[in-house]
Amino acid sequence: MKHLRNAFLTVIGLYILTLGLVYVDVYDSRPIINIFKNIQSDSALKVVDFSLEKKDSSKSKPKPNKNRNPYYGDLHVHTKYSFDAYVFGVTASPDDAYRYAKGEGVKHPLGYEMKLREPLDFYAVTDHGFYMGMIQAYADTSTDISQNEFAEPFHNLNRLDNLTVESAGERSNIFSSVLGATIIQPYPDWHPKLLKAYLTRNTQGALQSFDYDIHKSAWADVARSANEHNDPGHFTTFIGYEFTTSTDIEGGNLHRNVIFNSSKASIRPWTRIDSINPEDLWTWQDKLRDKGVDTIAIPHNSNGSNGQMFEMESFKGNALDLEYANKRMRNEPIVEITQVKGTSDTHPLLSPDDEWADFEIMDVRVGSRPPTYSKPSGSYVREAYLNGLTLEFTKQGNPYKFGLIGSTDTHVVAASLDESNFWSKVGLLDGDPENRGSVPLKEENVERLDEYMRAFNQPVSRVSLEQGEYANTGFTQWGASGLAAVWAEENTRESIFNAFRRKETFATTGTRIAVRFFGGYNLSSIDLNSEYLVSQAYQKGVTMGSDLLHNENKIPEFLVWAQRDKNGAPLQRIQIIKGWIDNNSGRPKEKVYDVACSDGMQPDPATNRCPDNGARVNINDCSISTNVGSSELKTVWKDPEFAPDDKTFYYVRVLENPTCRWSTWDAIKAGYKPREGLHETIQERAWSSPIWYIPEQSDVEVVPLGGTIQLRNID
Amino acid sequence: MKYKLSIFFIIGLTLYLIDIGLNSYDEKEIYISDQEIISLVTAWKSQVGRNPNDDEIARIINNLVEEEILYREALKLGLDREDRIIKRRLAQKISFLKQESIPNSPTNEDLSRYFDENNDKYFIDPKYTFTHYFFSSENSSLERSSQAYKDLINNIAINSDPFFLGKNFVNVSMKKIKSEFGEDFSSNFISIELNKWIGPIESPFGHHIIYVTNFTKGYLPNITNVLKQVEVDFLQSQRDEAIENYLNKIRHEYKIYINPDLQI
Repeated sequence: MKHLRNAFLTVIGLYILTLGLVYVDVYDSRPIINIFKNIQSDSALKVVDFSLEKKDSSKSKPKPNKNRNPYYGDLHVHTKYSFDAYVFGVTASPDDAYRYAKGEGVKHPLGYEMKLREPLDFYAVTDHGFYMGMIQAYADTSTDISQNEFAEPFHNLNRLDNLTVESAGERSNIFSSVLGATIIQPYPDWHPKLLKAYLTRNTQGALQSFDYDIHKSAWADVARSANEHNDPGHFTTFIGYEFTTSTDIEGGNLHRNVIFNSSKASIRPWTRIDSINPEDLWTWQDKLRDKGVDTIAIPHNSNGSNGQMFEMESFKGNALDLEYANKRMRNEPIVEITQVKGTSDTHPLLSPDDEWADFEIMDVRVGSRPPTYSKPSGSYVREAYLNGLTLEFTKQGNPYKFGLIGSTDTHVVAASLDESNFWSKVGLLDGDPENRGSVPLKEENVERLDEYMRAFNQPVSRVSLEQGEYANTGFTQWGASGLAAVWAEENTRESIFNAFRRKETFATTGTRIAVRFFGGYNLSSIDLNSEYLVSQAYQKGVTMGSDLLHNENKIPEFLVWAQRDKNGAPLQRIQIIKGWIDNNSGRPKEKVYDVACSDGMQPDPATNRCPDNGARVNINDCSISTNVGSSELKTVWKDPEFAPDDKTFYYVRVLENPTCRWSTWDAIKAGYKPREGLHETIQERAWSSPIWYIPEQSDVEVVPLGGTIQLRNID
Repeated sequence: MKYKLSIFFIIGLTLYLIDIGLNSYDEKEIYISDQEIISLVTAWKSQVGRNPNDDEIARIINNLVEEEILYREALKLGLDREDRIIKRRLAQKISFLKQESIPNSPTNEDLSRYFDENNDKYFIDPKYTFTHYFFSSENSSLERSSQAYKDLINNIAINSDPFFLGKNFVNVSMKKIKSEFGEDFSSNFISIELNKWIGPIESPFGHHIIYVTNFTKGYLPNITNVLKQVEVDFLQSQRDEAIENYLNKIRHEYKIYINPDLQI
């Protein structure tokens, strides 16, 4: 008996001692005892091959095209496994998502059918890694985890009779308040789960609201579904998830999608519970790459980052250096420039001379309640390119040398790409025109909206206009956008992933414009009417996403060729957007050149603008001029203001003739005039990844006030 | 002792009678209110932009009825009661209804029967190998292509434009032709003659004169080559069928009341 008691006390004593040592290890800023670091395993670095055993490959693959084909897809899609999508009423699965991408119809939570006008070539389900699968488990009252008090608000949330517009208030409340409170529920300090979480570097295991098995099985289902629907040569899928992080005080959105290159992936997603610092995500990606699994992370909604997506300092406020730039570029070769929550090309305040800058601007921080302004500087792609050049100018490396894609960020598994048939993206919250704010609210809905806002202690979010009371919940700043497009030899994972890595990508606002872009010094020798123009351009130049090295002060030439979307409006013009650092003053500068005009017209050399082609939209029925605009545009352009010593980038923007915006379509269908204050029309567009001109290395010494950059590498 | 027992009996009887009194309505009658239908139709209309036709209205109402039935069945199984076993059973049922249950592995006979019944799903599209001359609509494509066609027949060299997606297409499926050249253009391939210049054919980009050198007929692959896909589809169909059977089984137990005079 005494022995038993002693043994018992010894075990307890050892346990307390271990906890004490862990405590010192974790909290002491200079840990003397570092033994645990050696026995810690890293659960997020375990690699699993999710491929299916018997995958048929009977169908012949089309022959690869060495001149490459354009492929269109969406790399940002949520299903019921996302904590927020489930709250928005979504019960559709990753399988439903892939079926939709292949052209089948799927149901919106409000009951209507969503179907693509034309199937897509590739698709990636990217559920939030953080709490993946958990909310669904809270709602399912048969799970153990649902028996906890914090899970009660979620019980049977998506039962059939609760899939109504009326439940929107309850839902948005759950989304922002309950969810926030729920997820911070750690076990007490002495709990063995805490120790286990520490030893396996799996912080989420220390939270009472978390069930690792449910989480892993949701992730495994995402991976299984991707591999099941991948069909080399015809339809490509990627295993992926969203790393949903933000700065902890200002709520600056730092979200990224992580895309895996093969059927192999980590056993669990690396999430914001592991770290909210994106630099730690890159470290994890680097380690995975050492194990043979390549991934890329794609930042999105920089527009809602309050200037923090493309900052001039690191997450912790240190100076950026070459090491940072290399690490970021190794892991983030492309950025999502457009999606449902607005477009991040540039902002009118940043590009006052760009007449097309005021396009689908979303100017609040992502998910902020009440809506809070997101400052433009640091939030837009064009300025980031310029800042990258400035950082390079001061010998800090260029962390902003990324290519461009678009995607939707749909939360209802189905990409909403068509202005004339728009369902936005957050299910029951914005699935109908009244809630989106495009048509006036019915009387009973006015009261309902006010009640919700009062109940949840939010400012009244409606506005009184000529035609009636409108919801003013911010959804009017969202839109039907966008698509990721690549130039790849064939429609396979390998070929498309390589295109991401090469940055041979372009972005569109949902339209299927296609654009070729080459830079070189002898492109004007190519006959634009020759069948061999593309293969010659590949031979004589570099393509989008590449560097163009200086060549004895020769002036670079650019070949650009765009084709319209056969179901969209004709093309209006091609522009080249040039940004550079004036080598004498160090100032960043930008300029927009029209380089090809529709209907055989020429840009005015003084203004660099095309004449008006006369295309108009009839706002009463959304019909457009049929006799103007071009089915294709191509030209070779030579930079008229080239300075060989300036670091410079060039990217293409292709504009369609104007068409109705979704909010106009919504209003017309409901028998109203378009809501005042919103753009009635938009110009759908495409952006290429840039080509960077690299001048001869200058040996000017850079000495910023305060010392030299290289010395600062404090972590 | 006997006295105490009879008190329980009396309390029980009272509760039973109260229960009957409070639940006097028939559980198997469903009243669908006009307002419910109208609000659904309005939601439908505001999204699609037109009134639903009769078929669509029937579908909306049918969905509503089915929802109601499933909901009542769920209630009957005790969703609102605090019994763990019933709760678990109900949740299993609901998840089964949401198509999340995993059936056993199907037999080979199952699969081959399903394959035979759904031939068209596995049919491999016809494939074409062709080249073309393209005349861009940017530059009077109809006139130029008509002239070029005559010249081609007479072996006179012609000038055409480069096409954005290339000149030669090897073994491309009908689906791909449709997506790259448009529906109208692709319909010309259905009964096309081989080894002959044909045109001009219009596309959204201009006019084309095409020359098809090879055509692979569409065919049904051997089941062993698509087995995995058949299995996935079969399981999905099983799940759909299970729900349908379940609904069919209990549907006739219900009397449905819908206002026949409702105007929409």
